[in-house]
Amino acid sequence: MNQWREFKEGNWTEEINVRDFVQRNYTPYGGDGSFLKGATKRTESVRKRVEELLIAENAKGGVLDIDTEHVSSLLTYRPGYINKDEDLIFGLQTDAPLKRAVNPFAGYRNAVQACEAYGYEIGESIKNEFRYRTTHNTGVFRVYTDTMKKARHAGVLTGLPDAYARGRIIGDYRRIALYGMDYLIQERKADKQRIGERDMNADTIQLLEDIARQLDFMGQLVTMAAEYGCDISRPAENAREAVQWLYFGYLGAVKEQNGAANSIGRISAFLDIYFERDLAEGTLDEQGAQELIDDLVLKMRLVRHLRTPEYNELFAGDPVWVTCSLAGVGEDGRPMVTKTCYRFLQTLYNLGPSAEPNLTVLWSEKLPRSFKEFCAKVSIDTDSIQYENDDVMRKDFGDDYSIACCVSAMKTGKQMQFFGARCNLAKVLLMALNGGKDELYGDQIAPEGKVFEEKPLVYEEVMEAFKTYAAWMAKLYVNTMNVIHYMHDRYAYERLMMSFHDVEPERLMAFGISGFSVLADSLSAIKYAKVTPVKDERGLIVDFVTEGEFPKYGNDDDRVDDIAKWITEYFYAELCKTKTYRGAKHTLSVLTITSNVVYGKKTGSTPDGRKKGEPFAPGANPMHGRDAEGALASLNSVAKVNYACCQDGISNTFSITPVALGCDEADRVEKLVAVLDGYFAQHAHHLNVNVLNRQKLIDAMNDPTLYPSLTIRVSGYAVNFNKLTKDKQLEVISRTFHEKM
Amino acid sequence: MAMTGWVHSFESMAAVDGEGLRCAVFLAGCPLRCAYCHNPDTWYPRTGAETDAEQMVRKIARYKPYFGDLGGVTFSGGEPLLQAEWLREMVPLLEKEGIHYVVDTSGALPLTDTVKEVLSGAQSVLLDLKFWDGESYRQYTGQGIERPLETLRYLNDIEKKTRIRTVIVPGINDREELLEKYLSHLTGMACVERYELLGFHTMGFFKYEKLGISNSLAKTPALSEERRKELQKFVDERLSFTRI
Repeated sequence: MNQWREFKEGNWTEEINVRDFVQRNYTPYGGDGSFLKGATKRTESVRKRVEELLIAENAKGGVLDIDTEHVSSLLTYRPGYINKDEDLIFGLQTDAPLKRAVNPFAGYRNAVQACEAYGYEIGESIKNEFRYRTTHNTGVFRVYTDTMKKARHAGVLTGLPDAYARGRIIGDYRRIALYGMDYLIQERKADKQRIGERDMNADTIQLLEDIARQLDFMGQLVTMAAEYGCDISRPAENAREAVQWLYFGYLGAVKEQNGAANSIGRISAFLDIYFERDLAEGTLDEQGAQELIDDLVLKMRLVRHLRTPEYNELFAGDPVWVTCSLAGVGEDGRPMVTKTCYRFLQTLYNLGPSAEPNLTVLWSEKLPRSFKEFCAKVSIDTDSIQYENDDVMRKDFGDDYSIACCVSAMKTGKQMQFFGARCNLAKVLLMALNGGKDELYGDQIAPEGKVFEEKPLVYEEVMEAFKTYAAWMAKLYVNTMNVIHYMHDRYAYERLMMSFHDVEPERLMAFGISGFSVLADSLSAIKYAKVTPVKDERGLIVDFVTEGEFPKYGNDDDRVDDIAKWITEYFYAELCKTKTYRGAKHTLSVLTITSNVVYGKKTGSTPDGRKKGEPFAPGANPMHGRDAEGALASLNSVAKVNYACCQDGISNTFSITPVALGCDEADRVEKLVAVLDGYFAQHAHHLNVNVLNRQKLIDAMNDPTLYPSLTIRVSGYAVNFNKLTKDKQLEVISRTFHEKM
Repeated sequence: MAMTGWVHSFESMAAVDGEGLRCAVFLAGCPLRCAYCHNPDTWYPRTGAETDAEQMVRKIARYKPYFGDLGGVTFSGGEPLLQAEWLREMVPLLEKEGIHYVVDTSGALPLTDTVKEVLSGAQSVLLDLKFWDGESYRQYTGQGIERPLETLRYLNDIEKKTRIRTVIVPGINDREELLEKYLSHLTGMACVERYELLGFHTMGFFKYEKLGISNSLAKTPALSEERRKELQKFVDERLSFTRI
């Protein structure tokens, strides 16, 4: 095939196997960033247009426009362009940039409210359509038990994907470029034929219906691309087509689905193969290669979903987590750093810092030194990238996994995830002390138990109660997730994204916990200090008197760090006791995104001294100001949390002032590399890096025009600081910044 | 029984320019009473946490993954050499762990065999030379200048990589002609790889209030970073000529 000219053959020529193609064909790059090119005039011009649009979007309260007449799907809008003559890579979600689509499949009421919040009304045609349609949300609430509803209402189970799409699924969009849609459709039809030979039980029937739905949308994708003048039924001929074909797959996915964090995958080594071939053939130069990546990234930055203001409140701004995983090391030990990894990072200079795409460097001790230094420099300059430990993840996920959202690894095209939000474990502790009652409203949520007295708490007694309630909660949590994902598969199935997976992918059910450090410190306080509950007139424990010193998580002190480790191990083991829908593998994350502020609001005072309503620390971070022995001690504590029971990720955000890091740029780069190497050598999983002064944030809060594109890493992703609510800005400012003594 | 030391505080990530990632142990107690000290809470011996040598080294070793070739531990204070016996006990333990150490000292203690042993085992020494004339030294630190100069000569004799530091206080020693004089003391001191000027800052003032000590420089402003850089440049340009 001419499209495969110069490629080394292998298993990938006989079956769908992108990993094999990448491993046989990519060119590792060990040099530095001196080959990189800046933005072209064309890029500058498109960027300028996009910036104007972003300003207009901001001025209109966050939503530029909504198409209320169509239901979002692959073929419901005419082709959209930023500027038809200038676009290199085609395709927008609707017919105009930043115009949002209405997508009611996961929740109709949610879509209506989102429109209303921005002064729009849903069109008659959509109203009529959904009068006769069951949405995911309706399905879930038909089945939710009273207990599930209560746990949800109290905020002990929060952020559940029951009113919008679940997201966190990554199609292997590279398949479109490598094989073309005709071949993929043909293979899927063969799968259907083969599976149709099985006994027709509920599982087989469900799978066959899934496949039929996939085939429908695979055909629609070909039509969608044709409307942009592209024939994706055949493989990509060159780099530009490879980028375009792949992007069409992603675009179709986000037209169909409005879930958070449907990420783009691991595409840099794959695309690099096409770039190298074009460069060798003389049909492309470095400037041209960079321009294609710049244009792709610009498109990723324009992805939007229509959300209610409450959603934005929870997640800060308008994130979609177009997570793009870079680098890592192959199973054969060769670094997967290519020039295209550099080109993606270079977009932060050519297009300016940005929260999207969520650039994620898969770190390994084996990455070339020059690449490590380049990443560190980009972090110091832009605060826009995150790091995850490839040496840890490769053991479980091989060398072709991608990150979805912030920290969720899955084998690309071979695993999918049932996203599970999180359980507020700090609240579970309070519930255990209150005999199963919610500490704010007094509702009986869990089975009634002993309410602890206003006497100093005895650690062993508290642990026994906590274990009982955490076990009860784990079961409820798994069952709630089972309901959600059954209904999502039924009413809002990801037809396109799942068509870019193997026909029977492995499923992961990703649970999460919040209030991690608050719980660890609270248990430590009960164990090492004297904690006496204080009750109100209802007999509810609403506060604590904590006397004496106790070890605090974040100081590399095993006395409390062992408690923190135990929390994840215990809760994970309890989750595994309840069977999951479709035989998914249980996984767990310690990740709150920015919702640590909202979770804190919904949680009463805790024994560690945190008062009612005060924010939690994000993810697995130690509580602000409690890490008394400096940055590395804090990192060491987090590094102890065991990835084996937190395979959905352990998020840590690290903020340091430039002066504390080093005396000049070279020194800072060297030290940041040492921090990352040292942290990840201890099997830590994830690190967000911010190098900035607290004062800069305070200035930006007071006058947003000073730093309009100020981007900071928060928890597994980056945000534009100006898009945070005042509450969150203050919380971010209050976080620990490691400073020079 | 193993000796114990008194540790004022521990910082897992202490920046020393160009010396890799380091942690710092601040030892309690100091014989000097520098008027511009920003850590007066470290003056008093036998305060803070009582720690034995093995315990201390175990803690430092937790940070080995970050050290690389350059990094390690810095013993600072207070005056770390006040507890030279304890430091000497740690030297072989650190060596066993492959951890380099730096001593951050005022050099104001007598050069006993123990002190010499600790200094000679160090990767490098930060020598905080407060003033370069006996009169000012006594006026602002309460001690004579003889011992620091003796320490510098010793470091030069054993060819120990040394970095000299002086805090520049506005109105007291922020003048080029004074620095010129300071530099003349470094003639022939090949051990000195750098002469670093630190700007006087006011961030430690609250400690004086907290400790109820009178702060004779309470009205002195911080040295601006621009001025510090200017003076640093002045020193850098001359150092390479004088030290040989």
